Amino acid sequence: MRSFVLCHGLCFAFVLILLLSPVCSLGADIQVNSDTILRLFERDTSTDEDALVLPGYQYLQIDAGQLEDYGLSFHLYGWGRADFADNDYYEDQTAGELLYGYLEYRLEANSLNAKLGRFQVFEGVANDAVDGLYLGSALGDYFDVSLYGGQPGALDSEQGRSGDSIFGGRLAHHLGMHYEVGVSYKSIENDNKTAEEMLGVDMSVFLPANLSLYGFSKYNKETEGWAEHSYELRIPVGNVLFKPYYQHFSYEDYFATGANAVNPFSFLAQFDEEMTAYGLDALWRLDEAWTLGGKAKLFDYDQQDKAQMYSVLLGWQGDNLTQYGVEIGHTAADDTAGNDYTLVRLYGYCDAMAGQFWLDFVSADLLLTFYDEDIYGEDSSFFVSLGTGKRFLDDALSITLSGDYSQDPYFDDDLRGMLTMSYAYDK
Amino acid sequence: MVNKSLLSILTLLAVVLLVAACAGLQSNSTRLAKHPTAAELETMPKNCLDCHERGEALHYERYVHTADFGKSHRPEATQGEAICAMCHQTSFCNDCHATRVELKPSLKNQSDTYRSMPHRGDYLSRHRIDGRVDPTSCFRCHGNPKSAKGCASCHG
Repeated sequence: MRSFVLCHGLCFAFVLILLLSPVCSLGADIQVNSDTILRLFERDTSTDEDALVLPGYQYLQIDAGQLEDYGLSFHLYGWGRADFADNDYYEDQTAGELLYGYLEYRLEANSLNAKLGRFQVFEGVANDAVDGLYLGSALGDYFDVSLYGGQPGALDSEQGRSGDSIFGGRLAHHLGMHYEVGVSYKSIENDNKTAEEMLGVDMSVFLPANLSLYGFSKYNKETEGWAEHSYELRIPVGNVLFKPYYQHFSYEDYFATGANAVNPFSFLAQFDEEMTAYGLDALWRLDEAWTLGGKAKLFDYDQQDKAQMYSVLLGWQGDNLTQYGVEIGHTAADDTAGNDYTLVRLYGYCDAMAGQFWLDFVSADLLLTFYDEDIYGEDSSFFVSLGTGKRFLDDALSITLSGDYSQDPYFDDDLRGMLTMSYAYDK
Repeated sequence: MVNKSLLSILTLLAVVLLVAACAGLQSNSTRLAKHPTAAELETMPKNCLDCHERGEALHYERYVHTADFGKSHRPEATQGEAICAMCHQTSFCNDCHATRVELKPSLKNQSDTYRSMPHRGDYLSRHRIDGRVDPTSCFRCHGNPKSAKGCASCHG
């Protein structure tokens, strides 16, 4: 079934490319981005110990038409994987997914946006792939509306597509720079059975002294209960931004997504648990380069005991993508998860080295985790990754070589390698 | 039984007419389709407020990519997708938010250590704790049959 859907998606994309080719020949843009990834590592399989696993991934993105301006365009993105070692590490020797493939029309007037095909919706209660139609538009100076409908991209493997549907939308009202309030709705049916029916309210309120309030609430119409309330205040004081926030989740309403539910979440939906979280994030931009941050979050539950998370971050940002930083965090969850852990991360990315060295960038990541209670007899994890790369053809082609090593509760001695070749064509 | 997806598409087409009718309610707000690239600006912008005045026509401070923006961009993404789309194509979001990806984001972009990617390092061990503390954060990216395929080998 997956191959069938992927094949049809690619055929659909091919037909659309043919349809768009006259448009492209009239001077429109064409961009092709390709990432080819080859990985190498060892795993135990049902027949061998330390069997070599050699997967190759191809990510392909094609954009054509009016890309830099309003007008008609076509967008496609997907990935495929083949297991060259051909052992039984993967359930299927090949896998893949068309993540999106759609025709888009954008009009400057009213910021009109129309999509036809497979696309992803991130609006209000929606974070879904849809095979269908999307329309978004401003309605005058004070309202925006968006609507979508079709078949849900995530359900095509669940007993076929017959009887599957998704539709929804968001209506927003905004008053200049003062506030925006949106109401959203989403309904999903799987095999003619209601999988999800959610209502949402989102808001942004901009107050004097550059204070702002953001909020989101989600109501599960199937269980007739509020699934989520998340509210956050942003308070800038000089170069420091404070973000106190409040979150409340009802597991029964949040995880109960009917025929769409999957484990372990459908299991959690059976518990009448409610979680309330209070947190404070603070971020201090010391100057153009240095940032100091801190986070504290307290979790309170109806049925379990409390848990806490704390972390601090110090980062330095240089030219281009150059960054170095250190993060230290502690999660105290002995009563909730039967364990506590402390995480230390050191990272670095040195960009634009060309001129000094042959290579263009090097990167490094080091993570140390210390567990209060042993996991499979181990009380810590050690992880390090190193990467480097070189760009060619005016940066159109880049080749990156990276590797990582891990000693942790699941792997005694795990070494993995990865070669990535990225090519960007832009005409 | 009438196919519900066909019905919803027909409803949307009807809405097209409504939107066309509302074209009379022309919005005065216009924005560029795309933000100028770093190459066009001859520099990599770090802070929106370096070029834009606070309160100019948009709350630019919302979109400053601070050190924790990767973990806190939800309000901006759910309310301002069109603003995100001025610089990022959906493929950028799909590293984490997608119907189904097999490589975890921190592995696909292993060398991009400057990006705040979730699940770096030995997350297999840490998820035993994080998942019990706050399973709602797992659900946002692993909450449907396709995106939960990676969970199924242990969680059924």
